[in-house]
Amino acid sequence: MSGLQLQQLSRRCGDRLVLEHLDLAVAPGECLALLGPSGCGKTTTLRLVAGLDPCSGGRILLNGEDITARPAGEREVAMVFQSYALFPHLDVGENLALGLRSRGIPRAERDRRIASVLELLQLTALVRRRPAQLSGGQRQRVALARALLRQPRIVLLDEPMSNLDARLREELRPELRRLLCGGEPPVLYVTHDQQEAMGMADRIAVLQAGRLEQVGGVRELYTDPASRFVADFLGRPAINWLPGRDGTALGLRPEHLRPRPEGGLQARPERREWWGHQQLLWLETPRGTLRMLLPEGAEAGAEGLRVGWRAADELWFDAAGQRLSAEGPWRQGLESGAV
Amino acid sequence: MRALVLLWSLGPLLWQLRTSLLPPDALVGQGPTAWTLENYRLVLSGDPPLWASLRNSGLVGLGTTLLTLSLALPCAYALQRHRAGLLGWGVGAVLLAASLFPTVLLFLGLLEMARSLHLANSLTALCLPYTALALPLAILILRAAIAALPPELEDAARLEGLALGQRLRSVLLPLLAPALASTAILTFLASWNEYPIALTWISRVDRLTLPTAMARLAGSSVFTVPYGAFAAATVLGSLPLLLLVLVAQRWIISGLTQGAVKG
Repeated sequence: MSGLQLQQLSRRCGDRLVLEHLDLAVAPGECLALLGPSGCGKTTTLRLVAGLDPCSGGRILLNGEDITARPAGEREVAMVFQSYALFPHLDVGENLALGLRSRGIPRAERDRRIASVLELLQLTALVRRRPAQLSGGQRQRVALARALLRQPRIVLLDEPMSNLDARLREELRPELRRLLCGGEPPVLYVTHDQQEAMGMADRIAVLQAGRLEQVGGVRELYTDPASRFVADFLGRPAINWLPGRDGTALGLRPEHLRPRPEGGLQARPERREWWGHQQLLWLETPRGTLRMLLPEGAEAGAEGLRVGWRAADELWFDAAGQRLSAEGPWRQGLESGAV
Repeated sequence: MRALVLLWSLGPLLWQLRTSLLPPDALVGQGPTAWTLENYRLVLSGDPPLWASLRNSGLVGLGTTLLTLSLALPCAYALQRHRAGLLGWGVGAVLLAASLFPTVLLFLGLLEMARSLHLANSLTALCLPYTALALPLAILILRAAIAALPPELEDAARLEGLALGQRLRSVLLPLLAPALASTAILTFLASWNEYPIALTWISRVDRLTLPTAMARLAGSSVFTVPYGAFAAATVLGSLPLLLLVLVAQRWIISGLTQGAVKG
């Protein structure tokens, strides 16, 4: 098997289980995003793969080879840290040279590789600067350069863009994809930002409390979430929840709600946010507050309207948060909302 | 206000310098107040000459500092990076208690130790109690400095394939330079000024350290206090410290301006 495989990977800190029997596979050249709230175990997973922390159980396979016990320095892993972790006492060139020197790569070869990666990332002019003299974006590029220089067998990214402003993040996403993904090494990308995960990754693994909730394509996770947690975590503005029978819950995406001439739920707009291409309405209904996205041009009267949705857009979950089929007794009572 | 503080701290030193350059008679208001180096000649040609005790103190200070730093750094590193919950906390508390312990209470025990282990009159041996006394504070300072370093820096170095020794040399030591410099100054200073242990452990005249040698200056005359000689010895004894601080200051300041350890 080629690519990266995590088998039953576990990590225990004291008596707390940080990561529980994680099974995950990343194909060569594939970018898999680990997505989840803080403390869900995504960074832990990355550190285990990098060899920075020891596993409490399970195996890590790279191209079929067991690397679980291999020390970090010998895994040929490239990692971009959230803080970039550039050495503050060294300038850009020295930062890049440190690892190559420790590997005993001859000077000429070293200089050639550093020069080419500096060129690639347009850092050549900054080679004598120290990290403190660089902007956030430049530091990030230096961290990327250090990762690329390695000719790594795995690429690990730990929230590499969380210290950049939103605009820069958006610009860098395609560049990051171009540089890191699609080559031979599998890419693991940790983020808590779902938009970033959706923009960067081929597939997304959603983690919660040390357990894998669901792994799948970006579209699949959004339209067909396996659990209430995934449905809730993905999507902005967040999904609406309506209580069903016997502790079940109905999830409705804000963009799936539509104004209807009749039927559906009676609603009164409480608040509206205008976003340019669409507007977000906060609706007061007999079943609670609903968020509805209206495309530009559509209008909702101030005094009241009726909202409905298509039965195909309903997402049902049981009391334990597991997904239910769209047909079942739990639908009774909410059918009036369906159109 | 600034001038006042400057005067307050520099005043005694300048007065000492003036005293050292005046003939003894001038100090008590008799005789001419002509500048002279007589006091310096006196202490440098005395028995033992002051330069010998300066050298002894320097050697002991250097040895103590090197020994302290080379023990304190791994200790602080282990305590900080592999902290073992309650145990780590306990060790920290013991260190703090040890650094606050009244050292006077140790003299009798140390004397007994020196006697039974034949450590008396050895400058090398003198480094041992000095190191022991300096270690707790040194470990606490270095531990705080290591705690202030982002752990990812070391993670990054590990991923770059740097072994522990290489990480120490090319990442930890340069980043800890300011803390190491201030710890070195404190340790050297404590050793340089230490009197009671040196007094009890060293009896051979050619092995006296500076404080004990200075104490002997007073014994050279029963009827007059050799103010001038004292002053000259003080000035000579302060010069190496001044030099040390000036040299180390460059490290400390470069560490401060380097800033942005956050990467």
